[in-house]
Amino acid sequence: MIDENRLKILTESAKYDVSCSSSGSRRTNTKDGIGNASFGGICHSFTPDGRCISLLKILMSNKCCFNCLYCPSRAEADVPRASATPDEICELVISFYKRNYIEGLFLSSAVDGSPDATMERMLDTVVRLRTVYKFNGYIHLKGIPRADPILTRRAALYADRMSYNVELPSEQSLKLLAPQKSKESVLLPMKQLAAETRANKVEKSLHKQKFLPAGQTTQMIVGASPEADGQILRLSEALYRRLSLKRVYYSSYIPVVKHSLLPDRCTGLLREHRLYQADWLMRFYGFTAEEIAAEGENLPEEYDPKCAWALKNMQYFPVEINSAPLEALLRVPGIGTLGAYKIIKARKYTPLGFEDLAKMRIVLKRAKHFITCKGKFFGCDRERDVRTLLALADGAQKYEQLSMFSQPEISLSALTGQL
Amino acid sequence: MNAYFTDGTEEGFFTAVFDAFRDRDGIVTSSRAFQMPIGCTPVDVASDAEKAARVKKKLRQYAPKSVREISLLLRSGNGQKEQIALEYVRLIMQKRAAVSEMLSLPAVIAAAEEIKKVTSEAHRFTGFLRFMESSEGIFYAPFSPDNDILDLILPHFMRRLKNQPFVIHDTLRNKAALYNTKECVIAQTEEKISLSLSEREASFQSLWKGYYASVNVAERPHEKQMKNYMPVRYWKYMPEKNGP
Repeated sequence: MIDENRLKILTESAKYDVSCSSSGSRRTNTKDGIGNASFGGICHSFTPDGRCISLLKILMSNKCCFNCLYCPSRAEADVPRASATPDEICELVISFYKRNYIEGLFLSSAVDGSPDATMERMLDTVVRLRTVYKFNGYIHLKGIPRADPILTRRAALYADRMSYNVELPSEQSLKLLAPQKSKESVLLPMKQLAAETRANKVEKSLHKQKFLPAGQTTQMIVGASPEADGQILRLSEALYRRLSLKRVYYSSYIPVVKHSLLPDRCTGLLREHRLYQADWLMRFYGFTAEEIAAEGENLPEEYDPKCAWALKNMQYFPVEINSAPLEALLRVPGIGTLGAYKIIKARKYTPLGFEDLAKMRIVLKRAKHFITCKGKFFGCDRERDVRTLLALADGAQKYEQLSMFSQPEISLSALTGQL
Repeated sequence: MNAYFTDGTEEGFFTAVFDAFRDRDGIVTSSRAFQMPIGCTPVDVASDAEKAARVKKKLRQYAPKSVREISLLLRSGNGQKEQIALEYVRLIMQKRAAVSEMLSLPAVIAAAEEIKKVTSEAHRFTGFLRFMESSEGIFYAPFSPDNDILDLILPHFMRRLKNQPFVIHDTLRNKAALYNTKECVIAQTEEKISLSLSEREASFQSLWKGYYASVNVAERPHEKQMKNYMPVRYWKYMPEKNGP
């Protein structure tokens, strides 16, 4: 059994992978097996930083031969090193899973030796977990760039989800800060997996194996390099469209190492938050990156990107709650997907007034400036005042405060760039 | 004005609906602590399978999904659940149709909120339930949910841990589901079940606590959010939130 000290080393550096989801797979249990996947995902615990624990996030090893400047496990860093054997990891997963601590495994690794050797050890662990330990729960496997495509393909037959981290939003930045990585080395396996997933979908064989049922995700650090939000969102949009990614995760940069190539200031949580809001707009609200921000532009701090878009496009507002199509409702600031669906259902039976919306628990703080109910307008029609009210409603100050706490001196163990 | 007291079962509720239906200002409850208003006559309702079946038949005719909705609603820990369910039934009978989408009507809003509480707590406990291994190799999980959700979460764990004998114990309602890898029964229990733990149990709990501590990013405290997602009342049986 793995001892507490090694577990600590191997999980402490794995936590900077922000992906926490365990959704997207419908893998079922087998006759003599243990576990299954839950399509919507399940959170098993929450840590005092407010994030959820769903998977056991662990590295096979933190001995790395790469020297990415922002990374706590980079080759030059003076940190305790450890590794675990496939059986140690499998046993830990099974015993945690039996106690309902976790939903599955998130396996990652530093590049210990060559990329192929690292990937082989990870693959060995996953195959063993599935075939020897008969585990049918969720497995998220981090891909190692530059590993042999055959290994990548084989891994996808056993894992539910795989991810390669883009890390930095442009090729130049990558060259500068992560010299052993390149845009190609990360994108090639992602493209390979996307193509093979598509091929697997059209295959009609009765005995076809599952191929990466929960798809791919990626992660990038925001603020370590000079790219604007507009450029980052365009990259995400391309990843969603061309490589059918399920999620792009953003992590705001915290400086670890003093280096002339790295900024010495933290990127506040607010920027990360705004990027996630914009990301949601692209995935669930029918917005394009172009609509949200111009290429060289950053997202506004005072209010969310949907408000910003609405203020620039006042000609579309106000919309009448009782007749606007779903797409128009989704574009009203403050109305979310759930709210929009509620409105669509409820208005079939009776025209909705302002009080009805309030009773239905639709948040009107922002929305009231952009809607009419039965022809009546309840908001404020001076655009300047609306701006102020929206900024007040957003409570962005909250996030400003938080970023003060994440100042460099207290971030020593969170070394990182990746959170 | 009458107050109809039921035995707390679903059948009891539907019987009370039958009896109270024409009594416009009648109140239905199973709560013994219910404070009766002045001038209110208590009526004890004896469960009657035939009356209950007639009400259910009518409901199914107008709104096929409503019997399931009411069954969920009646698991709620809210003392007013029967009254909320009664208003909901009245609305279905009045409209002679499914009303679940008439989301601006107070009766529907109240019913939907209770149902949401029940189903979301059931979902939460698919994650927050914690098993411990007994020395006989049976996995034991105590919990004390707000709503009566034991049989809602059971199928999930029977699929997931089908080759593992387990006991899930609702310590608040003194009942437990006993699963032996072939069949599952729900039995009445004492409030506490004595249990000797396996030798390895303590070390796995301590590994889990260690993991919990090391994945936290201490530089970004956000306790409020943690407590929103994982309310303190659920911590009682979670090893990572208990002990040193």
